[in-house]
Amino acid sequence: MSDFEFDHATANAPDVIDPALIREAKRGTRVDIAQIGFNPALGRLPTIETQTVSLNTVLDFVPSWTARRIPIKCIGLTLPEGMEFLPPKTDTTKSSDGVELKRIGPPKKDVNEAGGGEKPRKVTRIKPPLDALSLQDRLFYLLQPPLESWLAEQELIMPFEPFGYQYEGIAWLFSSHSALLADEMGLGKTMQTITAIRLLLRSGQARRIVLICPKPLIPNWQREFKTWAEELPVVTVEGNGQRRRMLWTMPGIPILIANYESMARDIAEIPEDEQPKFDLLVLDEAQRIKNRDSRTAEAARSIRRRRSWALTGTPIENRPEELAALFEFLEVIPKAASPDLRQLSKLAKKYILRRTKDLVMKDMPPRIDRDAELELTDAQELAYRTAEKEGIIQLNDMGDTITVQHVFELVLRLKQITNFDPLTGESAKLERLMADMEEIGASGGKAILFSQWTKTIDWLAPKLKEFNPLIYHGGVPTKKREPILAKFKEDPNAHILLMSYGTGAVGLNLQFAGYVFLFDRWWNPAIEDQAINRAHRIGVKNPVIVTRFISKNTIEERIDRVLREKRELFAAILGDGDNNNVSLGLNATEIFGLFDLKARHKGGSKSIGPKPVEQSTDAA
Amino acid sequence: MSGAGKTEHLRLGFMETMEVDGRGHIGGLLITNQNGRPLEFQCTTPVKPNRTQEILFGESLRAWLLGELIGSTLLDRVAIKPNIIITSDPNLLELRNHTSIPVACAADAKSKVAEQGGTLRLGSSILRFHGSHEVDAELLSQQKHLIPDSANLAEPLERVREALAETVKTVFAR
Repeated sequence: MSDFEFDHATANAPDVIDPALIREAKRGTRVDIAQIGFNPALGRLPTIETQTVSLNTVLDFVPSWTARRIPIKCIGLTLPEGMEFLPPKTDTTKSSDGVELKRIGPPKKDVNEAGGGEKPRKVTRIKPPLDALSLQDRLFYLLQPPLESWLAEQELIMPFEPFGYQYEGIAWLFSSHSALLADEMGLGKTMQTITAIRLLLRSGQARRIVLICPKPLIPNWQREFKTWAEELPVVTVEGNGQRRRMLWTMPGIPILIANYESMARDIAEIPEDEQPKFDLLVLDEAQRIKNRDSRTAEAARSIRRRRSWALTGTPIENRPEELAALFEFLEVIPKAASPDLRQLSKLAKKYILRRTKDLVMKDMPPRIDRDAELELTDAQELAYRTAEKEGIIQLNDMGDTITVQHVFELVLRLKQITNFDPLTGESAKLERLMADMEEIGASGGKAILFSQWTKTIDWLAPKLKEFNPLIYHGGVPTKKREPILAKFKEDPNAHILLMSYGTGAVGLNLQFAGYVFLFDRWWNPAIEDQAINRAHRIGVKNPVIVTRFISKNTIEERIDRVLREKRELFAAILGDGDNNNVSLGLNATEIFGLFDLKARHKGGSKSIGPKPVEQSTDAA
Repeated sequence: MSGAGKTEHLRLGFMETMEVDGRGHIGGLLITNQNGRPLEFQCTTPVKPNRTQEILFGESLRAWLLGELIGSTLLDRVAIKPNIIITSDPNLLELRNHTSIPVACAADAKSKVAEQGGTLRLGSSILRFHGSHEVDAELLSQQKHLIPDSANLAEPLERVREALAETVKTVFAR
């Protein structure tokens, strides 16, 4: 202790010590405390007792934790094993009509010219169909690779790279159970369908497919299958009845092609318990079943299948009900249902994929339409007016017995006169055609001419001799048709192909022809468009000039007016137009209207015609 | 009908995970052939770690949850075992410590990963392997020729993510 000496004894002194003394002590003042009374006891050391406590005690609760795997549930999907096919035999360059083909490797990366770097390639993903409800179904589509890389696989190579809209079409078809591919003619419906079929077979989604098409198009489909899916075995239903039946019912044929007539006849003859079942039924030129009650339509609907696809560039030719017939085939409306225009438009958005050339082929050379309005020659004029006058008098004389057939016959007679005068052979159209053909022939061009009548075609052929005309119509045997088309393509001296609408309007690829003549008008614009699109389609390198011959002041002008109104009907249902104001097709009423006649009814007259007017009298 | 006589096959596994709001993580594994064609797909139900696991695993929680727990479960479950597992999530590389199958993280060929060791260019992607298993790169390079140079190995991962999103929407969001 230095400054503050404060021993243990004094520190333990009781508080009888005067606090003033303690304060003095804290200030360092030495204090003597007298030990009196019990104070000596304070000086004794305290006795300390110890107690032993065991540390080896077991506690009541010890939290413990071991890292264990949490049980996890899984959802699994095994994708069906697809079919494998023998690879194509050759790797040679080949050609399909009008299209030079070359084999391509896997898609190469596009190079960004400006930056020199790679830009990401656009990919088309397959989306699950709207009606796929189960998770497994939806995952199946979502897990498929982008179409571009799938098709670029070494064993699934394509002859040439499809366009972007075609990839979309293939993906849409692939994931659709009910589909109406209604692309405008010439955009490659055939190729998209074949490729989608190929993917279905490859992915194990289909094993047995049947494709129905008009008989003349069977060689076309065979050729296209060979081009786009050379490895797929394709069998055509043909031969006698026994053989056809065997082909229809034989399992293990991946792709069967049949014509409509064979389908309607054969399916009805196969007993119920032997009816074939297909994974996919494709109807090409599906407008063939537009009449729901026809034998063909009923046969198509009766075929057992899991998927239904319809292909047509003209889902509506005349009446909206035709579209309902297609929807019934697709099984998206009940049997015999009659959806109204609003419902049809809604269904169309869901089940129809339609692209037009204007929309997708911006780089395609244009189609140039020109109407050649011609004055009849004197002889034609005389014949026409006489026939018209006499015809109308006759029709009026028939009174209530008049039928649409009577009027139709007069229309046909007058149309024939506008083509050429049957007595003298004079023809304003031929004169114009010869003038145009001289120019086309001199430049080495090729033209296709369409007429309603084989008689007109046969009449034209000798007159066009200098242009080496070729004839292709219903009178030409099927086996001779392909060589005619080949000659037209390959023979530089063959400048004109004369075709009938009925035979030549569908399915043919004639894009090397730069000119199309519509010598007379068909009854609806869809057929005319189909005819024109033989030439104006994918692969066309130059503009296609379409010339429609219309004889002035004749029935042709009136028909032309009705056809224009029909185009509006197309736009109303398949486009975004106003569906409430569509005009209907060329029905009996309108045929009467061509002559300002009125349909006869038991109760009197009713005003008819393209533009109904308030009249109450008999025919003009 | 037989194929073109090919005997060499490469099975690729593509694994991704996804967080489901409030319900934890789910994972998916897609098995494809060397051309990207799907063969099998498995996905888990959501897995959520509890508070104890969160505390005790600390920073290694995600690697344990995604790589060991979800990854191993998926790999056990697939009938077709892949030759390699590719992912975009480095946490899933942990799976390699629990399997003999190489696990790699796919990165764009232009990324800095390309300059590092233990990597392998496969198709148009650079694969980075687990630090303790860099030898995987050498082993796998022997089968490199089976993958086309144009193959984009990041693309199937996108499919897995879409499939997981669809599963969440269809099943777990109810």
